Amino acid sequence: MDEYPTSTAMGQCIMIQVDHLTKTYADLQLGPIVAVDRISFEAVEGEIFGLLGPNGAGKTTVLRILSTILQPSDGTATVNGYDVLTEPHLVRHQIGFVSTNTAVYDRMTAWELVEYFGRLYGLERDLLRDRMEQLFSRLKMNDIRNLLGSKMSTGMKQKVSIARALVHDPPVLIFDEATAGLDVLVARALLETISELRDQGKCIVFSTHIMREVERLCDRIAIMHRGHILSAGTLEEFIKQHGESDMEELFFRLIQEHDTQRQPVSLVK
Amino acid sequence: MKWSNVQLIYLREVRDQLRDRRTLFTIAILPIFLYPLLGMIFLQVSQFSREYPALIHVVGKDHLPQMPPLLDGERFFSELFDDPQGSELLVVQNFPDHESLDGSRLRQKAEQSVRDGHCDAVLIVPNTFGAQLNEFRSQLADATTDNTATPKEVHKVVGPHILFDQARDESRIARDRLARVLRQWREQVGQDYMVQSDIPVAAIRPFEPQLTDVAPESKKRAALWSKMLPFVVLIWALTGAFYPAIDLCAGEKERGTLETLLCSPAQRHEIVWGKLLTIMTFSMVTALLNLASMGLTASLMMQQLQAFQLALSDLPMGMPPLISLGWLILALIPVSALFSALSLALAALARSAKEGQYYLMPMLLVTMPLMILPSLPSIQLELGTSLIPVTGLMLLLRALMESDYAIAALYFLPVLGVTAACCLLAMRWAVDQFNNESVLFRESERFDLRAWLWHLIRDRQDTPTVGQAIFCAIAILMLRFLVGFQISLPENWISLATLTVLTQFAFFALPAGLMALVLTRKPRETLLLRWPRWSSLPAAVLLAVLLHPSAIALSVFIQQTYPLPEQIEHISRNLIGGAPNLLTLLLVIAVVPAICEELAFRGFILSGLRHLGHRWWAIMLSSLFFGVAHGIVQQSFSATLIGMIIGYVAVQSGSLLVCILFHVTHNSLAILSQTLLLQYAPHVPGSAWLFELTDAGIVYSWPLVGVSLVMALGVVQWFRMLPHQLYTEERLQKALAHQSARLTS
Repeated sequence: MDEYPTSTAMGQCIMIQVDHLTKTYADLQLGPIVAVDRISFEAVEGEIFGLLGPNGAGKTTVLRILSTILQPSDGTATVNGYDVLTEPHLVRHQIGFVSTNTAVYDRMTAWELVEYFGRLYGLERDLLRDRMEQLFSRLKMNDIRNLLGSKMSTGMKQKVSIARALVHDPPVLIFDEATAGLDVLVARALLETISELRDQGKCIVFSTHIMREVERLCDRIAIMHRGHILSAGTLEEFIKQHGESDMEELFFRLIQEHDTQRQPVSLVK
Repeated sequence: MKWSNVQLIYLREVRDQLRDRRTLFTIAILPIFLYPLLGMIFLQVSQFSREYPALIHVVGKDHLPQMPPLLDGERFFSELFDDPQGSELLVVQNFPDHESLDGSRLRQKAEQSVRDGHCDAVLIVPNTFGAQLNEFRSQLADATTDNTATPKEVHKVVGPHILFDQARDESRIARDRLARVLRQWREQVGQDYMVQSDIPVAAIRPFEPQLTDVAPESKKRAALWSKMLPFVVLIWALTGAFYPAIDLCAGEKERGTLETLLCSPAQRHEIVWGKLLTIMTFSMVTALLNLASMGLTASLMMQQLQAFQLALSDLPMGMPPLISLGWLILALIPVSALFSALSLALAALARSAKEGQYYLMPMLLVTMPLMILPSLPSIQLELGTSLIPVTGLMLLLRALMESDYAIAALYFLPVLGVTAACCLLAMRWAVDQFNNESVLFRESERFDLRAWLWHLIRDRQDTPTVGQAIFCAIAILMLRFLVGFQISLPENWISLATLTVLTQFAFFALPAGLMALVLTRKPRETLLLRWPRWSSLPAAVLLAVLLHPSAIALSVFIQQTYPLPEQIEHISRNLIGGAPNLLTLLLVIAVVPAICEELAFRGFILSGLRHLGHRWWAIMLSSLFFGVAHGIVQQSFSATLIGMIIGYVAVQSGSLLVCILFHVTHNSLAILSQTLLLQYAPHVPGSAWLFELTDAGIVYSWPLVGVSLVMALGVVQWFRMLPHQLYTEERLQKALAHQSARLTS
């Protein structure tokens, strides 16, 4: 039964399975644009899977497909066994999604917003209150409880978004450029929170274009560029395979190799 | 769908709107202050408004008779006015230097002077006026004194001439005042003659018609308000729906919170329902507050005006009867629902709040005529008008407010049915847009017409898109409408045949065929040009035959309500009789239209609409277009219903040939039943059991209609069993429906 999650050799559940996923857009000037080109990867419980790539690599598109906001043009993606195309509603119950594009409501307080989404997930009032109290103290948000969204700083908003994504205790968490625009202190705290979540057994997909975050946080990494996954594996595997210990150098090299292999495309039509 | 989620979203959105100062201002504060303010301004300004005297230049003052007097110095004689102050409103002056000019030059100069606005009107008294009047008087005297003589022809006198300028308001007012004075004066002249001839003055008016208004005061008020209030309420319901809708959809898209909501477990239709109810609430509250504020201000102003005795006594102003108000408030629910759904769909389309604002004007332009239409006296609540969205609702409301309950009850269901269908359609559209990523993540692109046209051809799909199908349908309707006016009615069979073949080809087959060739990769698949399984061909013929009695019964019923216009009646009876033989007749009237119309409506349009993912919506929309394309109300009803059946047959069989065969059979039977059968009917044994002949043609007996309809349903069931292809979108919708079923179980 492909409805139920399969396991790896080590007995971990595969939470996210992406198979030949493709996404094309129609562009008025350039014709169909392939934003994501037949990529495949999987992520298991208790691991942080990093998607590393420059801007425009297709990371956001992949994560939007996983969070059912976009529909794949071809290929499949399943989250905890549910297909993102045919069972989007069931998928949404499995994930918490934080992205630069998921804003908080201006005219709602932090508490109201998290409560609102918690109740949309169908949580019981008492359970929801307990969980929110825990979340607010864990994320150190008690001082912004009654602050309206419009009055929050970027860091506060990000905290609220994370609380919103965690309130229903989903097995899968998706962070799309979650540290963008945050100062060092807040970003550091966020990364700590994420690694704590991994330790609790969550499956986390984390996209970024910052090397250091990947090095510190991710168990496995996929380097994405122009809609392709150039290389994937653990940090050690990368170093062994490419004979390069500096992640940044490795990243540059892979991207340059890919660009020179490709037919030179003229951007101006 | 979970109603708890809808309720949650609704409460959040309402709270969100209430926390927004701008919304509160437009919805609550503005109406409360607007009307008292308007009333105040009106009262203030009305103090400035007064009547200005008109300047009249007179040529040939000396030719006026002395008695009875017309002029009194610079004024007209004050006894000629009902209101003694009236003479102040007409200032009379001699036309400057009229002595120096002769006839035609003078006339030219006078006309010029009115046109240039030197005076408001010129009164020209002919040179011979006085003399002619005298002669008239003596002729009259002769005729009356000499009783023995036969009554002589009395020559009428050429009267004074008024020059005025219709294009200037002042001049038109001057004309009316002047004409009234002259008419009054003429009466006095006439009375003088009668006195002279010893006839009592009363002889000129032996009686006056007496007018009695039997309407009770409340009914009069209801009639007045039933025309005014619905319009005001509708406008505010629309405005009150539109601004929150923009904020709730386009605004949320702009602020980035929509993506947050879309990846939450709330389903798309729960979101749309929650938002719709919010918009509806604000629409209704806006309309009610405006109504209340306007009513209050108006009644206060009435009191004030009555205190000054300014109110017109014959206008029943005063508050509308309570029961009328009750109906109005009740009707606000469907009105708001309709406008809210429409606003929501449009706002979901907009990328930003700014873009949303652009859609307000087109929406007003489309709905405004529908709101104004019911205020025309010639538009009454009947089957046809009840099916027009907005218009039907307003007419129903008017009937209820005027307590015509019998009529209202008759059309209650059709009106509400149409309104509900429109609401659901708009909501379906909105839900689809929340699912449509190109609408959600539309980025602003540089628009270039050439690039766009090239994109249409380069990126074309196997079958047309929904947009292309709707464009095709609207293009066909417009073509028919615009060119239809230019074509004169045919006079004989040859011109009728040529016209039918040409228009069928040009209006339906050509656009659909061309668009399929240019805009799709697989024109044959688009136009369903493939062989069906053979058994569906006789099934289609059988279905058409079985539905024939019901179709005739329906068309007879419709023609009783809406008799065909005589011209069309004439064509159908006389011109068709001019056909050389039956085969040609069937070819022109049945076969050609069947092929051309099927290519367009079941070919290109239905194929495109099926990308909606909802088969029945696609079938319904395509048959609605099919019905409207028939142009004549009498045909549109049945065409829409037949269109639904052919649409279903098209989806199930996947072949246009089956549709054409059904269509040909249907049309042929309609003709044959009125020609061949009409001829031979009396000779058919047992005919009385099956049909009877009436003025409208053949009418089948009710048992026959019933039995054939049941059998037709059986054939439809057979079509249902056919293996048929589903579109990708339809398969996806099926899978999604399966998911919701799993969720609830």
